[in-house]
Amino acid sequence: MRQTFAIGIGGAAGQGVATPGDIFAKIFSRRGLHLNAYNAYQSIIRGGHTFLTIRAGPEKVTNMGDCIDLLIPLNQDSMNRHLALLSTGAACIYNADTIKPGATGDGVQLCPLPVSKLADITRNKVAQNTLAIGAGLNMMGISFQALENALTEQFKKKGEAVVTENVGIARAGYDHAASKFKPFAWPLPMTENRYAVLSGNIAMAMGGAAAGVKFYCAYPMSPSTGVLHWMAAHARKAGIMVRQVEDEIGVVNMAIGAAHAGVRAMCATSGGGFALMSEGLGMSAMMETPVVVIDCQRAGPSTGVPTKTEQGDLWQMLGAAFGDYPRVIASPLDIGDCFKIIPEMFNLVDRFQCPGMVLCDLLLSEGRLSVDPKDLGFTPVIDRGELITTANGTPSSPATSGDYRRYEITESGISPRAIPGVPGHVHTAATDEHDEDGVLISDEFTNTVKRRAMMEKRMRKVTGIEAAIPPPALWGPRNADVTLIGWGSTSGVIEEACEILSEQGISANQLQIRWLVPLHGEAIVEILKGARHTIIVENNYSGQFARYLRSESSYVPNGYIRKYDGEPFMPHHIVEAVKEQLTGKTTLSVPAHEIMV
Amino acid sequence: MATTPTSTPVPKTNRIGLSIAEYKGGKTTLCAGCGHNAISERIIDAMYEMGVSPERVIKPSGIGCSSKAPAYFMSRSHSFNAVHGRMPSVATGAMLANRNLIALGVSGDGDTASIGIGQFVHLMRRNLPIIYIIEDNGVYGLTKGQFSATADLGSKLKTGVINDLPPIDTCVLAIQLGATFVGRSFSGDKRQLHSMLKAAVAHNGTVMLDIVSPCVTFNDHEGSTKSYKYMKDHEEPLQDINFVPVFEEINVEYDPGTTVEVTMHDGSRLRLRKLEEDYDATDKILAVKRLAEGHAKGEVLTGVFYVNTQAPNFIEMLNMTDNPLTTLPESVVRPGREVLEQVMEELR
Repeated sequence: MRQTFAIGIGGAAGQGVATPGDIFAKIFSRRGLHLNAYNAYQSIIRGGHTFLTIRAGPEKVTNMGDCIDLLIPLNQDSMNRHLALLSTGAACIYNADTIKPGATGDGVQLCPLPVSKLADITRNKVAQNTLAIGAGLNMMGISFQALENALTEQFKKKGEAVVTENVGIARAGYDHAASKFKPFAWPLPMTENRYAVLSGNIAMAMGGAAAGVKFYCAYPMSPSTGVLHWMAAHARKAGIMVRQVEDEIGVVNMAIGAAHAGVRAMCATSGGGFALMSEGLGMSAMMETPVVVIDCQRAGPSTGVPTKTEQGDLWQMLGAAFGDYPRVIASPLDIGDCFKIIPEMFNLVDRFQCPGMVLCDLLLSEGRLSVDPKDLGFTPVIDRGELITTANGTPSSPATSGDYRRYEITESGISPRAIPGVPGHVHTAATDEHDEDGVLISDEFTNTVKRRAMMEKRMRKVTGIEAAIPPPALWGPRNADVTLIGWGSTSGVIEEACEILSEQGISANQLQIRWLVPLHGEAIVEILKGARHTIIVENNYSGQFARYLRSESSYVPNGYIRKYDGEPFMPHHIVEAVKEQLTGKTTLSVPAHEIMV
Repeated sequence: MATTPTSTPVPKTNRIGLSIAEYKGGKTTLCAGCGHNAISERIIDAMYEMGVSPERVIKPSGIGCSSKAPAYFMSRSHSFNAVHGRMPSVATGAMLANRNLIALGVSGDGDTASIGIGQFVHLMRRNLPIIYIIEDNGVYGLTKGQFSATADLGSKLKTGVINDLPPIDTCVLAIQLGATFVGRSFSGDKRQLHSMLKAAVAHNGTVMLDIVSPCVTFNDHEGSTKSYKYMKDHEEPLQDINFVPVFEEINVEYDPGTTVEVTMHDGSRLRLRKLEEDYDATDKILAVKRLAEGHAKGEVLTGVFYVNTQAPNFIEMLNMTDNPLTTLPESVVRPGREVLEQVMEELR
């Protein structure tokens, strides 16, 4: 089993959960540790309950894991919710002045901090947080210097006095733990690596910049807003035109307008905003103007649970906008992949002149992961496809479009795309069905032969897209007892569940789907043909991917594991469900989320 | 056999050497007598006379009879038929990506004031360089004559249905929200519309023109307030409009007592001879007030209601690069490795 260490920090919104989280994350990543952070929060500015999990270790940490080693409850409510879930070896650091512990399991260490004795709480309202960080790091066997550096960076903007005060408080907590609390059995190691800590939203925004996006617009919507924030903060530096627009209808149309004029354009939203964009996606398809839309899924339907994760928008994407048209849908497998998938998607949509949709979710968008920047590739290949931006070597007379036909019928279905303003390439781009030269065949000139030819031309691009994306591959041992099938963000947690199952004597392998449309259905069936027991794992109620796979390939798995309570899977949810299903007790497991967040 | 030299008459050309034929469009498929066709003719004349390079013009439009019109003028310009009511954002995106384009947007009263009102009001706020024309007939033609949101209270459909809601005055909205050249005209008022369109070409910022354009099939009867007859009886021009482009010599003096002269961004002069003594088209508050009074009196005011040649347009305001984004070479199209590395360093 991978050696990891997880910290849970709980409190009300506004109590300062984020700052200790940032400090721990910084210290871990600088020790060369991998980390994964997930914040379970609520749609409230002040109050409620927020629970941040940071899990670190020397090997890749792909998910929040199953247990908390160190609990830091910042209020009584957090203590009440989480203490009972701690197991042997874990510890809980809390403010003894204001919080009373409840019953604990065997081998759980309670670490009360006499906060008012250790710090001047009239001066520093978040002294308990800083004391707890100090105490916790001491118990993990991390030098105080690391904390001092992190605090100095954190507070340097507020001036020397604030830095000194916080370092002093942290020191008091650190020293108090040294004399009163038992250190953790596993001191956190150190490696030579240095990682950056990215959220999926930052990764997708940077992926866009690396892909050469010149236009980004959005309407703020959780959990996609982080992409807009990064874009707005780096617009000048990265040379990107960034606009906040009145609504998602405006967003998608503005992005298409910019894309039509010739730049790479991107926008991000969540399910509700995506619903408003579907009309525009049809326009992108009909005009053959490439655009990339990111959907950071949250729990629906409707306003749903804005701060909770789900993989519930697949069928909305499959059916977005009416009529048949080629589209590309892909789902990133982790936060690093959030970066890489964007340039890949742009190359595809530029080549095939169609809309591309990235199906992310809150878990990746707002989660954080240590990533080695070297693995990302800041200068991915930019393939703009058959794009005409100058009149060089093309029709001589600017007065007519000469031989240029914007929607020329070709074998590949791809017609060279001239941007507006190129002499000799004047054309009409229309949402109405049109002829090869762009002239509308929707009103006076409807024509069954031409309509059929244009439909077939556009749809022929699907074959090309299929050939351009790789089929999925099976990870893990070939002849496994169980094959777990997932898509997108469940990649990491399924991987860890497979490892745990193997340790328990059940060999397991994994098939994770990244490219959803087009789907390599035949390749998937071929891979699964020899599988002994297959289970599809997904974060929604109806098994959206299972239904899609069945419709595309007639493949029916042996069982299903689904979760739709707003929280992501933890490895044990999958492990236990697999064991339950292998005994033949059920074919559908819906694990309960034990943590009340 | 002796050959007789034949001289083909050299067609008249404009200042960029193009003949008027090169500003024409396809044959109209709209009804004979449709006001929209007259507007297309005026656009052709104005663009020809102003010597606008057709290749630089994009003609974004929405959906409806009005939005089909761009096919019937300027075939050498680029058309973009968007979806219903969404032309404002499409045009904004295109203009931000390529600031060298000249946007001539054509919409209708349904496309603008009903399904597209959300987009319209936000476009007006931006002062994007665009000429936004509403071909306004008060009804939906393509779906066979239902009322639109600019139809007047109490006006009557052919079927006898009476409109029970007040109209949206797109000019009032445009003035209040930030458009910098706002006027109303009538497709049948050839002279006024012609001058207004030429001035529109010279303006730097959003030009919003609501052009009443009767629908001969569904809204040209007794009881309609958007019919040819009604307009002829009720049109109240605020000014006599005269436009002198920058490239033409001024050979007629004007009387400052009766005429307001507005110098446009490019140096052209817009001369508004007051038909109403106190009207001043540079006074925003007065413009809104006068339009409200007109509604109360049942007048159809036309003319340039408001003009502001000083406000920066959207692209100037955003402080964008001089080179259009769309023509940036691949070497600068994305931030350099060092920029991304620096950003990444902040995340360590």
